[in-house]
Amino acid sequence: MASRAIWKGAIQLGKHEVGVKLYAAIQDRTVHFRMLHRKDDAPVEQHIVRKDTGKDVPKADMRKAFALSKTTAVILEPEELEKLVPPESREIELLRFIPPAALGDQWYDRPYYLGPDEDNDSYFSLVHALERKNVIGVARWVMRKKRYVGALSTFDGYLVMSTLRRAEQVLSFSGIEPAKTAAPNANELKLGQQLVESIAGDFDPQLWQNDYRQRLDKLIAAKARGEKLERHVPKKRKPQASLADSLRASIAATKEKKVA
Amino acid sequence: MPRRKKTTTKETPAHSTGAAVRSFWSGTITFGLVSIPVDLLSAVRPRQTALKLVDKDGHALGRQYHCAKEGKKLDNDELVRGYETDDGKIVEITDEEFESVAPEMSGDIEMRSFVPLEQIPPMYFQKPYFLAPSGKSARAYHLLATTMEKTGRVGIGSFVMRGHEYLVAIVPDHGVLRADTLRYADEIRTPEDVGLPKRSKAGKHAAQLEKEIESLTRSELDTSELDDQEAQALQQLVAEKQKDSDNVIHQSGLEEADADAAAGGAKVIDLMAVLRRSLSKNAVVSSANSSAPIDLAERRAQRANAASTSPAKRKTSTAHRKSPRKTTRRKKASRA
Repeated sequence: MASRAIWKGAIQLGKHEVGVKLYAAIQDRTVHFRMLHRKDDAPVEQHIVRKDTGKDVPKADMRKAFALSKTTAVILEPEELEKLVPPESREIELLRFIPPAALGDQWYDRPYYLGPDEDNDSYFSLVHALERKNVIGVARWVMRKKRYVGALSTFDGYLVMSTLRRAEQVLSFSGIEPAKTAAPNANELKLGQQLVESIAGDFDPQLWQNDYRQRLDKLIAAKARGEKLERHVPKKRKPQASLADSLRASIAATKEKKVA
Repeated sequence: MPRRKKTTTKETPAHSTGAAVRSFWSGTITFGLVSIPVDLLSAVRPRQTALKLVDKDGHALGRQYHCAKEGKKLDNDELVRGYETDDGKIVEITDEEFESVAPEMSGDIEMRSFVPLEQIPPMYFQKPYFLAPSGKSARAYHLLATTMEKTGRVGIGSFVMRGHEYLVAIVPDHGVLRADTLRYADEIRTPEDVGLPKRSKAGKHAAQLEKEIESLTRSELDTSELDDQEAQALQQLVAEKQKDSDNVIHQSGLEEADADAAAGGAKVIDLMAVLRRSLSKNAVVSSANSSAPIDLAERRAQRANAASTSPAKRKTSTAHRKSPRKTTRRKKASRA
């Protein structure tokens, strides 16, 4: 079933404008529950109360505060926060294009598909231009009163916009060098490489299922029909030897498997 | 009671904590029969935009559950979770039943396969964590990181944390191992699922768009373009208000709110200290503003090609396929 667009925008690129519709690329598979009162199975209501007195606080009296430390904060009035809301805009501003390698995986937050907004011609022109140049775009836009930064790329012949984490969130490293005593020797490196190659494969996401979610779905379905489910039995693990021995034994084990 | 102190001491925001990150999980990475004990630490810091709920006078507020029928406050042990079926029926699921389907409490991330990094489309990446070696495992840890850098392959496995099962890619990052959780295939929609119109050829503006792209193309990311403008605006407002000490509230209730935010009480630790102790005494952790080109750059560069195979099309693929899939129907079409 076709989905509904959650937002409409326009990608600005020089004097060109590409109208796009934004669609969720993630299908939420989380099983959501409602909190019930154990005694009568009545759904519970959430009340916002003062922590010290437990008394209800009317909505009009609620404020937001920015914490300065563990015990101090500044109250921000609704009209002050309203002033921080960025002006509404349909524009998706492209700041620069970079090779895909210049953006590490840790930046990617949430992907959205972009579909054409009436003008298929310029949409697919942009898809092809991005594919040919093999770059991704760094974009900025305002959606539903919030600012976003994102990476514009192509996937399977369509445009994808992934929101990105902010610069202050992402950490990076330097100066990681093993101490002499902890540096793997040439033999270990060779064995390590052999082991990695012995269980090398292609990334096939279809091979991985969320077993827990599937068991939970089954349980709910069975209970809805008034049935009971059997328990599943957990498995055990093996002990451990020295690094080189383990590497050798592992390689031997994977070889055996391949023959079998 | 909140006090409005008449002092002008300027306090540093609670959010700017340097390399302090949360420690979530301790376990073992295993590949073959090799095992490396590790601690799992968050690799991203929260945005500095979180606000706490208070009342007009600054008293900390919190949530409470009430029974809709009886109209009285409920304690935690009076609560039970229920699932609402499509036809509106509520099915109660007891704690015992949740336990009966819970994943095994295994402390392992078993890497079952090493795959070329560029084959994982960015859409799959969900949340990054750092793995710090615990115990005397630095040697095996370095071995794994070096081997993955050399082969351009990353480990794929799954593990259980807080009662949930996560699919994960173990990725080397400048000598440190990261565990990036991945979405499952059924969580990613295909263009067909979304109902996007049929693909079509490049239109008349394609060449011009290419020129525009070229003129904006740079070799590196400029992280200042990824600054948190919302957080900056918020901090500016706070700094302005803070000048008048009347605006600053002091109370103990906020402390509890902080503990709540820790969601399950994950320990806060200093990442740099941990890495210097466990991995390398010269380790430096900085925020991404000092981002350097990444080591697996070449491999990632190929991703644009590899990624054009959609998850839906991968259904037909088999585990023993040897060569990476790089050519697809789409790619051929676009080259034509």
